[in-house]
Amino acid sequence: MGRRRFLEVAAAFGALLAVPLDPAVAARDGAAAEADIELTDWIFIDAQGGVTLGLCQPEVGQGSYTALPAILAEELDADWPAVKVRWVMGRDAYKIQFRNEKPSQKEGASTSTTKFYARLRVAGAAARDVLVRAAAARWQVPVSDCATESGMVRNTRTGDTLPYGALAAEAARLPLSPAPRLKTPAEFRLIGKALPRRDTAAKTDGSAKYGLDAEVPGMLNAAIALSPTIGGWLVRINNEAEIRQQPGVRAIVRLDDGVIVVAERYWQALRAVQMLDATFSPGENGGLSTELIDRLAESGLDAEIGVTALARGDAPRILGQNPDQVIESRFSVPHLAHAAMEPMNATVHVQPDRVDVWGSIQSTDASVAVISKISGVAEEKVHLHIGFLGGSFGGKIAPDFVAQAVRAAMAVGRPVKLIRTREMDIQHDHFRPNNKGRLRAVVDRDGYPVAVHARVCGQSLFATTRPNWLTKTPLGDYDESMVDGIYNQSYEIPHFHVDVIQTPLPIPVYFMRSVGSSAGVLFWESFITDLAHKAGIDQYQYRRHLLRNNPAALKVLDAVAAAASWDTPPPAGTVRGISFDTYHGRGGSFVTYVAEIVELVRKGDSWRVARVFCAIDAGLVVNHNTFIAQIQGGIGFSLTSALKSEITFNRGGAEQSNFADYPLLSIGEMPEVVPIVVESDRPPQGVGEIMVAPLAPAISQALLHATGRRPDRMPFRAEVFKASA
Amino acid sequence: MSIPFQLNGRPVSFDGPEDAPLLWVVREHFGLTGSKFGCGIGMCGACTMHVDGAPIRTCVLAVGNVRGRAIRTIEGVAADADNAVRKAWNDLDVPQCGYCQSGMIMTATALLAETPAPTDQDIDRWMTNLCRCATYVRIRQAIHAAAAARQHKS
Repeated sequence: MGRRRFLEVAAAFGALLAVPLDPAVAARDGAAAEADIELTDWIFIDAQGGVTLGLCQPEVGQGSYTALPAILAEELDADWPAVKVRWVMGRDAYKIQFRNEKPSQKEGASTSTTKFYARLRVAGAAARDVLVRAAAARWQVPVSDCATESGMVRNTRTGDTLPYGALAAEAARLPLSPAPRLKTPAEFRLIGKALPRRDTAAKTDGSAKYGLDAEVPGMLNAAIALSPTIGGWLVRINNEAEIRQQPGVRAIVRLDDGVIVVAERYWQALRAVQMLDATFSPGENGGLSTELIDRLAESGLDAEIGVTALARGDAPRILGQNPDQVIESRFSVPHLAHAAMEPMNATVHVQPDRVDVWGSIQSTDASVAVISKISGVAEEKVHLHIGFLGGSFGGKIAPDFVAQAVRAAMAVGRPVKLIRTREMDIQHDHFRPNNKGRLRAVVDRDGYPVAVHARVCGQSLFATTRPNWLTKTPLGDYDESMVDGIYNQSYEIPHFHVDVIQTPLPIPVYFMRSVGSSAGVLFWESFITDLAHKAGIDQYQYRRHLLRNNPAALKVLDAVAAAASWDTPPPAGTVRGISFDTYHGRGGSFVTYVAEIVELVRKGDSWRVARVFCAIDAGLVVNHNTFIAQIQGGIGFSLTSALKSEITFNRGGAEQSNFADYPLLSIGEMPEVVPIVVESDRPPQGVGEIMVAPLAPAISQALLHATGRRPDRMPFRAEVFKASA
Repeated sequence: MSIPFQLNGRPVSFDGPEDAPLLWVVREHFGLTGSKFGCGIGMCGACTMHVDGAPIRTCVLAVGNVRGRAIRTIEGVAADADNAVRKAWNDLDVPQCGYCQSGMIMTATALLAETPAPTDQDIDRWMTNLCRCATYVRIRQAIHAAAAARQHKS
């Protein structure tokens, strides 16, 4: 009942809700437990008066488990330390929409806070409003005599108080206001503060439950071996009898492209799968190699014509008429693996009339659809139990590991937990695509760009995963993510042409933190570095000039320059690099400005990334504590890609498979990070991915100053950090 | 054959093969799931436990090696309310996804037992555990904070 009423209210707030609401759709798992009194889709009060707040966006480390409930608690005036947080799913209120796809419950693209901020405030305020009216009715006083604080209503004349628990039943019978009063920022007690994370204690005493820790009675454990080549298939298992005799082994499950060994204990499955001798056909991709991938992308860069993503003015003509004056740079980035610390895993229990799945899953509804399809059990009877995710970075959106676990559970007729080994997790990841860029410019007398032609060539993320997200043009479709940070960049360029060439590859690819901009911003900002360098103009001032009519961007650029004392020359043995990006959320969901300054310090015969300043304007910051943490960690995440990460292919498969050949940053390599929060009046914008892309071009610019050479290929290996003699 | 050892101060015994990895014995047979599986090759440190006080990567440690020894896991450290490392971790909100942090706390606790006032270089040398969220800034701060708190106490 409460839910239906809230949907009516929510419908009145249609402008705030991007999602069309359909009250006829049944809640999938009944977000409310039986004993709870439900005030809105998000707020549940139990018989003892305990307040539980719903969380529909998985906690992958970014802090959704704290920030999103805090928005509800703020408007509800809940007793923040005492509230509980519970995973909820299955309702329209929990769905979000990207571009033209149908609304679904999922997490991604730095949008959890952006998309839910208004929705959660209204939900909290609407619940507070009925609680106040219930109290006023009980006391028979006007509503204006009632105030709320810390989970109770107070009679401002008598000082009497009633806890929310005592009012919940009555409040639930009152109609929700179509326009509850929202707090003014001056009234905020939680939003905009530095709130401690609610999940820290559980994550330091071993009690936090991840997908890996799921335990179901009667459960078996499984390990998987997949075809070493992409698109290869299983021909035969050569030692099946031997595998079956291994301690604990209960079943061998054949997939088209792999083998799952199911055993009593995981280590038994692991050991057996390591002994497995299987023959795979390489299929049609057996010849795939990085050399081939590079050649394909390289030839696209020089193709006659690409698919136009942006055509402002007449850049091709100006460049064509001034061939001697064209400045050109080329860049290259490889495929990358997500490599979250928790390997992909899922625990599946299939019963005739329901399926339960525990796992580290970032895309709720997409996984439900896959589970339903394979099991034949209707979607509304699929129950996901999502605990903490041990990292994801986009990698746990693709539900293939869930599908494999469902097949294993169905084959053995018992609950099965399937855990990918690290080798399977990396080698069979859905990778960040490769890309190459060619940027060409003609500059004016002062050295500023008059005409620029930017071209990007590589594997398309959208063509592979979201064909309906491709932008249609008369000359073909293009993938805007391939030119993120270029076609939508902020500098003033009178004549600007951006085009794209896709090189279709059979490699599974996916979204990875900062998506296409991790390549696009490297290409773009490195090229700006080259132009400023050629012009002999200070890198900061050069960018200031190109942003001169963009005060919001200048504010962030100036903030980082001030924090790093850019105008004071660095001490001997220190060099700096600066970069800027306007990050446009997918489908226009937000705009965040970011500027970074990197300091390299010479140590012996090498330069080392010692300090990173990062200024961000992401509108209102809901939780400063986790915002700062995202900047600190995001810089480290980005530095890993800048210095170390590269997936190469040979004989049709990825060559890297564990941290020995796909290394992560260590604590000794982590720079000091100076976060600068640039506050603005805008509502919360995206944060989680924003600091990633500008780091590499700031490093490459600093290297240009340090060594006279600017690397043009990621990752930047140790040799480019060698100091010149 | 039975393999006796101490688990967080309690005598236990494992009835199974000597070569079963300690990580999985502790997780699956004794139900303590705070120690995590990250790489399976002893590189990332998410599985770190103390064996007679020394931080050991247990995904590659056969249980037969710990016969008669004292094993301590994150659950054992957490039971000690005085653990300065865990307190510093909480005060500074170190974890993000949190998956590596059990191992981080185990390694840092052993570091401080060995080196009560570690320098940044000591930390770089000891803390070879990996964190994909790169929570390293706060890990370093927390180790220094824990060292200061322990010295203040003694």
